[in-house]
Amino acid sequence: MKRQKRFEVLAARPVNQDGFVVEWPEVGLIAMGSPSDPVPSIKIEQGRVVELDGIPRAKMDFIDQFIADYAIDVKKAEKAMAMDNLAIARMLVDVNVPREEIIQVAGGLTPAKIVAVLNTMNVVEMMMALQKMRARKTPSNQCHITNVNDNPVLIAADAAEAAMRGFDEMETTVAVVRYAPFNALSMLVGGQVGRGGVLIQCALEEATELQLGMRGITAYAETISVYGTENVFVDGDDTPWSKGFLASAYASRGLKMRFTSGTGSEVQMGYAEGKSMLYLEVRCIMVTKGAGVQGLQNGSVSCIGVPAAVPSGIRAVLAENLCTTMMDLEVASSNDQTFTHSDIRRTARTLMQMLPGTDFICSGYGGIPNYDNMFAGSNWDVDDYDDWNIIQRDLQVDGGLKPVSEEAVIAVRNKAARALQAVYRELGFPAITDEEVEAATYAHGSKDMPPRNVVEDLKAAQEMMSRGVTGLDVVKALAKNGFEDLANNVLGLLKQRVSGDYLHTAAILDKEFNVISAVNNRNDYRGPGTGYRISPERWEEIKNISQAVKPSDFDI
Amino acid sequence: MVEQKLVEDIVREVIKSMYQESAAAPAAAPAPAPGLSPERDYPLAAKRPELVKTPSGKPLTAITLEKVLNSEIGPDDVRITPQTLRMQAEIAEGVGRTQFAQNLRRAAELTAIPDNRILEIYNALRPYRSTKQELLDIAGEMETKYNARINASFVREAAEVYERRNRLKAE
Repeated sequence: MKRQKRFEVLAARPVNQDGFVVEWPEVGLIAMGSPSDPVPSIKIEQGRVVELDGIPRAKMDFIDQFIADYAIDVKKAEKAMAMDNLAIARMLVDVNVPREEIIQVAGGLTPAKIVAVLNTMNVVEMMMALQKMRARKTPSNQCHITNVNDNPVLIAADAAEAAMRGFDEMETTVAVVRYAPFNALSMLVGGQVGRGGVLIQCALEEATELQLGMRGITAYAETISVYGTENVFVDGDDTPWSKGFLASAYASRGLKMRFTSGTGSEVQMGYAEGKSMLYLEVRCIMVTKGAGVQGLQNGSVSCIGVPAAVPSGIRAVLAENLCTTMMDLEVASSNDQTFTHSDIRRTARTLMQMLPGTDFICSGYGGIPNYDNMFAGSNWDVDDYDDWNIIQRDLQVDGGLKPVSEEAVIAVRNKAARALQAVYRELGFPAITDEEVEAATYAHGSKDMPPRNVVEDLKAAQEMMSRGVTGLDVVKALAKNGFEDLANNVLGLLKQRVSGDYLHTAAILDKEFNVISAVNNRNDYRGPGTGYRISPERWEEIKNISQAVKPSDFDI
Repeated sequence: MVEQKLVEDIVREVIKSMYQESAAAPAAAPAPAPGLSPERDYPLAAKRPELVKTPSGKPLTAITLEKVLNSEIGPDDVRITPQTLRMQAEIAEGVGRTQFAQNLRRAAELTAIPDNRILEIYNALRPYRSTKQELLDIAGEMETKYNARINASFVREAAEVYERRNRLKAE
């Protein structure tokens, strides 16, 4: 066929490098409304759920049973289940119905019923609902800090910059597993340079992640995955009971934690049982609720390529975020993994959470160049900092970040690198040279860093664990080397695990280490003039970008 | 408007049942500060610092840089106590977060179990790791050695479910 020139131009557009697929319900390649999704039902006998969405108790898989026994309030269920789908959907959108009222109803719904409600809503309605239903009144943001070489000096510098730019939580992971203790240490030191009170985590295999938390090197955990079918749950090497126990184990050490799940993981792992992605994800959300975890990272997360390939997939991602808030859980709403070549598409996907605001809009935003992201690249990264800031300014929306000056960034990056240098010296780890400090201060990414002796680093990282280095050792090392402010900040973070205030739903810390959570900062949105409003001070921060010209710039 | 009434009914019922539950609750270990309220007492560190102690009984204000440097404060002092976890559970109940509160109560029991044993029990609860008897033994250990009753019944329940769903280790 002779090619039509316009079609040739379109074929070359970035969006046409993306993958798309038609709906294929039999294998679960359907975002919402699979013909195999169960019909909502509930039967309660003697205070116990004996039938859930058409499945009698004897035939329930372990997820059904866990949801039936832990996630559904049997006192509310029959009345809530009798309500019309549209009536519940309208309550979600209606600014006159307070959040608390919806939480009461949602607590009595089964997974299939929740899906039936969400199926009636368009994305604008879901965004309205999300604005009201998110747990914490003040929205926030989280970032990723990693690099391909696990360069510890660079991690500290990037963490410092990201904290200064406004992220309240920061997550690292590893290129090489054995580097984990070092990556976590860099985050701990660097993060507190950028802003005291930033919470940090290191995503690893479950048991190792817990261990770092117990030692006081990390402040919270997130990579505790749950899945929507029993086979995939078992493939993930867990059950709702093992994960529920793990949740309590974290709390018993005073550590904040959330679970992780997302649409598409079951299809990707080959056991979707013909159910829609959203239905399976709602089961994950309810397992999280039942386990008594305060929050959930969801929004497809690392499986975003799957829902993004099918019709209404990005709508399903918004729906799963909304469902999380309906369960009264903190939502860290993904917007992380790269899924498209199109700048237009990646922006549209994020506006669903950025405009209404969530507890963490991204989880996370790449605080590093895309090539350094060991979570396989983020939908947003350092190259987009100014775009993000200007979108906030254009729409007067709080996306959690703020413009910063080059001088200030250079200063915190340098201080973070020097602080880590001191800690390494004090703890007897392989030296960080002044050349490395200088490189990390001015670097964009790991390509700008001199190489380190990886073998020596790994040996020392191993030693850090076997010697039992704790957060308090870091405090001492900082204080002994003239970084008393940082020592106090790290200690401030460790103190959180004594009071346990930050275990609560959607907790973050301000720069004075005050806890801001969905207990003392509850979302009270009830329409215009209520809920979170950008304060005059915050608006000054957002609107004053250095790119804007002022009348005084003109020589008239 | 029918729905509006339905919702009101539900809210009323819930409030009623919450009162009944708290009245009927068994008088277990004496609560350190009964009736903590989210509005009045949270965050504990700021509003009720006198209630928060380290495992060795030191007040929160004793955790200072100076004391860390002269080793008066060690790693065991920056840990949460079961009492504090139960107080936080009360706060959670005060904002209607029943399941979260229950998690904190399980956690309060787990403070008694050493780190390594916690990790081992977690691994034992993973699929195909344990026989039914092994899980029941863990439950027994939790109950007798650590007085972790809620956790023990949680593990017993897991043993039953794993048996029904064929997720136990082959014997």
